[in-house]
Amino acid sequence: MQATPTFHNLPLQKGSFTTLVEALDYAARGETGYNFYSGRGELCSVLPYANLQVEARSLAKKMLSIGLSRGSRVALIADTHPDFVVFFFACQYAGLTPVPLPAVIQLNGRQEYVRQLGRLLDDCQAKVALATDEFMPFLTEAADDLMIPFIGSLQDVKNLPDSAEDLQPKGPKELAYLQYTSGSTRFPRGVMITQKAVCHNLQIIIQHGVKVRTGDRAVSWLPFYHDMGLIGLLLVPMACQLSVDFLRTRDFAMRPRLWLKLLSENKGTISFSPPFGYDLVARRLRDGDVEAYDLRSWRVAGAGAEIIRPQTLARFAERLAPAGFDEQAFLACYGMAECSLAVTFGSLEDGLKIDHVNSDQLLEHGRAIPVPPAGDQEEYRSTSFVNCGVLMPDYDFEIRDSEGHTLPERQCGALFLRGASLMSGYFGNLKLTREVLSEDGWFNTGDIAYRIGSEIVITGRAKDMIIINGRNIWPQDIEYIAECQDEIRTGDAMAFFVHNSQGEELAVMMVECRISEQQPRLDLINRLSRQIRQELGIDCVIELVPRGTLTRTTSGKPSRHATKNIYLQKIATDSQMS
Amino acid sequence: MKEHDDVLQKILEILAVTLPEGGPEIKADLDLIDDLGLDSMKVLEILESLEDSFDISIPMNVMPGVRTANDLARELQKIIKSE
Repeated sequence: MQATPTFHNLPLQKGSFTTLVEALDYAARGETGYNFYSGRGELCSVLPYANLQVEARSLAKKMLSIGLSRGSRVALIADTHPDFVVFFFACQYAGLTPVPLPAVIQLNGRQEYVRQLGRLLDDCQAKVALATDEFMPFLTEAADDLMIPFIGSLQDVKNLPDSAEDLQPKGPKELAYLQYTSGSTRFPRGVMITQKAVCHNLQIIIQHGVKVRTGDRAVSWLPFYHDMGLIGLLLVPMACQLSVDFLRTRDFAMRPRLWLKLLSENKGTISFSPPFGYDLVARRLRDGDVEAYDLRSWRVAGAGAEIIRPQTLARFAERLAPAGFDEQAFLACYGMAECSLAVTFGSLEDGLKIDHVNSDQLLEHGRAIPVPPAGDQEEYRSTSFVNCGVLMPDYDFEIRDSEGHTLPERQCGALFLRGASLMSGYFGNLKLTREVLSEDGWFNTGDIAYRIGSEIVITGRAKDMIIINGRNIWPQDIEYIAECQDEIRTGDAMAFFVHNSQGEELAVMMVECRISEQQPRLDLINRLSRQIRQELGIDCVIELVPRGTLTRTTSGKPSRHATKNIYLQKIATDSQMS
Repeated sequence: MKEHDDVLQKILEILAVTLPEGGPEIKADLDLIDDLGLDSMKVLEILESLEDSFDISIPMNVMPGVRTANDLARELQKIIKSE
């Protein structure tokens, strides 16, 4: 078996397409394509774009025989596997809408995973659900009482008869896919992205973000059920005819060094990761490993999807400098599923641009006053942020205060965006759509930012979500677990996140509780900790407090921010007393 | 062919070096997450060691049904037999 080549004769077409089918039809004229590697880093299957086109068309004919109306949702367990890719493109040719679903299973997590799949299948009203053989048992169980007309594997679809209908691929105004945001698992939000919107985003990434050129090759371990993996590393390379080498996310997490091995052996030039991936490599690298790698070809080391902490990436760069890794290859970017993917990019070959600002001014007045990067001096404390770069073409942005007024340079506020890559809305949820997307096309990102000229610096999330080990954790999901207990009433638990003394994010939940005896209190705390660990995979500090402690807004909504301040004051007092 | 007890012994050895000292005594029927406090990253480190020790690949769909070291030993033995 041989991987698809990096160099080939088809002229480079930089993503100027109006549908995904148009892009694949062009790429299929060359020799490049997708390559899949095993958990030991060995090539285990090769899918050139030419074969993908043939297989997807043939599968599309079979799928049409099920008799679905145009645009019906086809749920796909998005394992890093050629079958998923064939399913995804078969939908494009058949005029159906693929919906990638998570392919992540935790230890002892069967029940929770099946429940999550069930909620998503239900939310998108899937008419077909497909998976690889490995995931079929979970899918079948999740779909148990949902009345989905067709559930099966690649072979099951192949066994269907060919439809007599001609293929009518999706047009520019039709949906390209439905992407569930990595939001709360209880309250899923399916982002609707049209062909035109995603193709626009692919084009700006190719031409302005990464500036793809002949000789580029991508390497990725990012999951296909996440926007950066699906759009950034599956669709972008296809839309500019590059070969990609894929590693499963779990295999990367188990053996992070495989990422470096693939980049070295295949002379990869483009790869992206959340900061957590760079951190994992730096921590798991063994002395003496570094000589085995040659990272001189790696010209774009993208970092995004969570707040970038400069120290994390600096440690990675330092450790891998002997292997030829160039710190200037780091490329900060910012984006989200609601904008297809990319919103801003830093400038290429410049490395990370850090903005140092006065911490007190930032905390008290939301002003980002630049200071020399001297660290903590007598007169002031400083905070460092990574500059996420300039807005991509055809986007407008505004930074607004809580009353909706546009703020001047270096003043923090909510980041609003408008542009051609934006979603059409959340599937089947007009109310939620209206909350974030205005009639005149402005989208509230939910992130807090300030601008320096046309460059954007993200300082935090207005949403209460945090990311632990690459997983998005929502306070609502932690609180829900508390509210399911007999002793706790709805609205009596509030969860939020604080930094521990090592600067790591830690989940805390304060629960109003009437129980006064010691043993039942301990039992409740233990039960909550256990269930949170089981369902969300994180540790959470549980504090039982008297009634009336938690802060609510005048309309009775939880104020997590104010409650967090109460908690911080409480631990400060406790530590003074001890 | 490896017997269940040999596989279990190896799992317990790996747990002993992976888990921090001073934790609860490691036993075959304890819940790996609830009782022994394994987080998702530690689980992956342990799987890596096990794959290397037995020269096997552990499929992704094995993990959701595993609660204790005993469960893990039983699953691994099936994989070792089939490879």
